[in-house]
Amino acid sequence: MIKTDVIIIGGGATGCGIARDLALRGIPHCLIEKGDLAAGATGACHGLLHSGGRYAVSDPVAAKECYDENRILRRIGEKCVERTGGLFVRLPGDSKMFRERFLRGCDDIGIPTEILSSTRALELVPNLNPALEEAIVVPDCSIDPFRLCLLNMKTSQIKGGLSFTRHRVVEIVRSHGRCIGVKAADVYTGEIKEIHANILVNASGAWTDRVARLAGCEVPLTLSKGSLVITNHRLTDMVINRLRPASDGDIIVPNEAVCLAGTTSLLVEDPDRIGIEPAEVDTIIGEAGRMIPHFNSTRIIRAFSGVRPLLKSQKLDSREISRGFQIIDHQNGLYSIVGGKLTTFRLMAEKMVDTIMAAFNLKRDCETAERPLDGQEELSGYPLNKRLADMKNIVCECELVTRGDVERIIEQTGTRHVGDISHRTRLGMGPCQGGFCTFRALGIMHDMDILTAEQSVQSLREFLERRFRGIRYALWGDQLREEQLVEYIYLGILALGKHS
Amino acid sequence: MSVIAYDVIVIGAGAAGLTAGARLASEGLRVALVTAGEPTACLSTGCIDVCSAGKNPPGGIADLPESHPYHRISATALRESLRNFQTIAADLNMPYTGDADRNRLVLSAIGTFKTSCLVPVTMRSSPQSAEEKVHIVTFAGLKDFYPGYILARLENAAFSTYDAGVSTTMGIAANFEDDTFLEAFILWLEKLNIRENKIAFPAVLGLESAASIVDKIEKRLERPVFEIPTIPPSMPGRRLFNVLKDHFRRQGGIIYWGWPVIGVEKADRQIEAVRVESQGRPMSLNARAFILATGSFVGGGLWARRETIVEKVFDLPVFVPGDRDDWFVQDYFSGNHGIGRAGIAVDAAFRPDGCPWDNIFTCGAILAHVEALKNGCGHGFAIATGEAAARSCLEYLR
Repeated sequence: MIKTDVIIIGGGATGCGIARDLALRGIPHCLIEKGDLAAGATGACHGLLHSGGRYAVSDPVAAKECYDENRILRRIGEKCVERTGGLFVRLPGDSKMFRERFLRGCDDIGIPTEILSSTRALELVPNLNPALEEAIVVPDCSIDPFRLCLLNMKTSQIKGGLSFTRHRVVEIVRSHGRCIGVKAADVYTGEIKEIHANILVNASGAWTDRVARLAGCEVPLTLSKGSLVITNHRLTDMVINRLRPASDGDIIVPNEAVCLAGTTSLLVEDPDRIGIEPAEVDTIIGEAGRMIPHFNSTRIIRAFSGVRPLLKSQKLDSREISRGFQIIDHQNGLYSIVGGKLTTFRLMAEKMVDTIMAAFNLKRDCETAERPLDGQEELSGYPLNKRLADMKNIVCECELVTRGDVERIIEQTGTRHVGDISHRTRLGMGPCQGGFCTFRALGIMHDMDILTAEQSVQSLREFLERRFRGIRYALWGDQLREEQLVEYIYLGILALGKHS
Repeated sequence: MSVIAYDVIVIGAGAAGLTAGARLASEGLRVALVTAGEPTACLSTGCIDVCSAGKNPPGGIADLPESHPYHRISATALRESLRNFQTIAADLNMPYTGDADRNRLVLSAIGTFKTSCLVPVTMRSSPQSAEEKVHIVTFAGLKDFYPGYILARLENAAFSTYDAGVSTTMGIAANFEDDTFLEAFILWLEKLNIRENKIAFPAVLGLESAASIVDKIEKRLERPVFEIPTIPPSMPGRRLFNVLKDHFRRQGGIIYWGWPVIGVEKADRQIEAVRVESQGRPMSLNARAFILATGSFVGGGLWARRETIVEKVFDLPVFVPGDRDDWFVQDYFSGNHGIGRAGIAVDAAFRPDGCPWDNIFTCGAILAHVEALKNGCGHGFAIATGEAAARSCLEYLR
C-alpha cells in the first residue's frame, strides 16, 4: 500500500495543475489517470488560450479570469504557448450592435483590442474571406494541451510526487464515513494498487459524477459535447473567431502544422459513448468556410469530440451555462472540482489547493503564477528545423519522427501504448493519421521487448479501430482515398482481421 | 492541337487496363494506353487474388451476390484468362504458380495467412500452415518489416539479420540485381548453418531477376526459399506491373505515361477523343472505342465529394451506396463498408449502365458491387474483366 497526503483523480489540465501546485507547496500527492495525460476534454479541445474576448459579452467574470490566466500562461509557459494573436472577424450580415457590446465588454474587463479595416486584416491573414467588414485584434494564443500537462507533471516528478497513468480507480476506500484512499487497477494487467491519503480530489472532468458515486456522493453535471475538425495544414497564423454570439463552428485555431476548427455544442448522457454526426462536420466546415473560404476545399484529416463538464443548469442551450468552475466539498474527505476551461486550469488548481491547505491548516502561498513551468529548457518550440537535421530512420514521414525519438520515449516512459508516443512526438498526427507509422512503432516496441508480438498485433488492431472512429466522419476526397489505401494495406496485404 | 487516331484508347495502367489493351492489340488493333502515373498494382502484393473469401474460386464466386460483376463472366472464360496470364508471365521470366480453381495461402509480414490464388514463383514455397519450420532473414534498418510479428505465430521459426548497406525496400532490391552482392549474400547465408527447412525473406530479392535469384539461393542452400510481401513500396507488385506492361508493348500497344486525361470530345452517342495533358500543349487522342480501367478510389477512377461520388474521366453515372453516413459502418473490421460497393454498374457487355455513349467499356476495380477487400477480388478479377471488356469491345468494332 502507498501512503500520501492527497490523491488526485484525473490527469487532465486541472489534475496536472493541482499536482504542480501541491508540489510547489510541498504537499506529497499521487495522481491517477485511467488513460494517458490529457486524454479527456483537455486533449480534445481547440488548444485555444482564450484572451477572454469570447466571453466578454456573455460572461464577464469568466472573461476576466481568462484574460488574467492568458497573461500568466504566456509568461510561465512560453514553450507550450504560441503567441498567435487572434482576430474577431465581422462578416456581412453580422450584427453591428454585438460589435459595440463586444468592444465595451473587452474595455470594461481590460482586454486590449484594436480595430482593423478589412484591407489590413487581409494583410495579416490573406486566407480570410475578402468580403469581411472588419476585424478586431485580441491577444488570443494557441496552446499545446499535451505538452502543458506534461510540463505541469514535470514539477510534480521533480518534487517526488507520484503518478499512475492507465490506472482506473475502481473503488474509493472508506472508513467511518470518511474517504481514506482508493484502489486503482492497472488497465493492462488488472493489478490493483491501494493508495491511502488524507484528502481525495476528484478532477475527472466528464467522469466526475461517476467517480463521486464510488464514494456515495453525487455531482450533477451537464455534459456538453463539442466536435472539431483538423485540416492537414495551417490556413491561418492567427486565431480566427467570428464576431457574433457564440455559435457552431466559429473558432479556427492554428496549432503546429495544422488548424483546428469547431465547435458544436450538444448535450450528451454518457461521456464514453460519443459519436459525431456527419451534419456536425458539415456545419463546422461550412461555418469555418465563411471566415476562411479555403476550408471548403482543404483536406480534413480527422474529426473528434470532447465532453465539457458543465455545472448543472436548467438552461437548455449549453452555451449559456457558465464556464466558471466550482469546488464541491463532499464533507467526507473528498472534493470534486468541476466546470472551468483549459485557459483557467491554473486558477482552478490554485483555488483547489488553497482549500486543501486550509483543511490541513497549513499556510503557504501559491507560486504557480510566478514560476515558469519546469522542463521547458529541453523543448525548442516547434522544432521542425531540428527534426529536419536528422533525416535518418524516419518512421513517421508526415511529422518527421525518427526511430530514435520513438525509442527515447519508450525508454523514458516505459509505455506500452502507442498513443503515449503520439502525444509526446506527434507520431501519427499528420495526413495519414498513423496509417504507416503505427505498424512501425509497434514493431519497434516489440524489438525493445516492451510488447510481445501478440500484444503488438492486438494494439495494432485496437489502434486501427480507434483511428477509424476518429477519421470516419471526415472521409471524402483525398482523405477517403488514403483511408482506402490504409485499409488495403492492413486488411489486404497484412491480412489483419478482427480475430486473426 | 495535334491529333492522333487509334482504334482503341485504354485509360488506366493497372492489371485490368493492360490486360484489355494487350488482348485488343494482339487482335491487330491500334491501341494506346494513357495513364496519369504508376498504377496501384505497384502497391500490391503481386499475388493474383481471384475470390479469396470463403470457398475455392468456382464455389466462392457462385456464392457472391447476384449484382456482382463476376456473374457476367463464365467459369470457362475466367479459367482461360488466368491461364493466359500464367503463359504471359512465364514467357517474361516471372512465372506464377497455382491454378484458377484452388486458393492457396501466402504468409504475411505480421504472421497471418493471406488467401490468394496464383502467386509469383518467389512465393511458391510460402508455408501453408503455422507448423512449418522457417528461417526468416531480414535486413538491418528495414523499417517496414519486423520478423517479431511472424515469430509469434510460427512456432518453429528463427531469424537472422543481414546488413545490405541500405535500408529501403527499393535500395536492397537494386543491390540484389548485382551478382557480386548476391554472391556475398549467399556466402553469408551458407555460413549461418540454417537448420529450418525453408528460408523466408521480405520481398526485396531483386526486381526483374527475382525468379532466378530465388532459384539460385534455393540451389545453393538446398531448400525452398520464399518471399513475404511487404507494405508499399512493393517489389512483387512492381514486377507484376512490369510483366503486364512489357506484354502489352510486345503486342504493339503504345503507352502515354504520366499524361492524365483532362477532357473528352463527344458527338451524339460516341466519344470521339480524350484530351490529355502533355508537355507543352494538350493533345487529343482519337479512337473508335474506349476502355475505362482507372480503378477505384486509390487508383483515382472514383472520387468522393462530401455529398456524392463521381467518375473522373467521363463523369459516368456512379452507383453511390447511400448517403455519406452509409459509406462506412462503425465496425472497422466488419468488411461491410458500403463504400466497397461504389462504382460503375455495367451490362453483360461491360458497358456502363445509363451511359449516353455506345463506345465505352469498363473493367477492373472501378466496377460497382465488387467489394474487392471483403470478397478478395483482386488482380484475378481485374484480369478476367479486362479480357471480357476487350472481347465486347472487339465485337463492337467488328
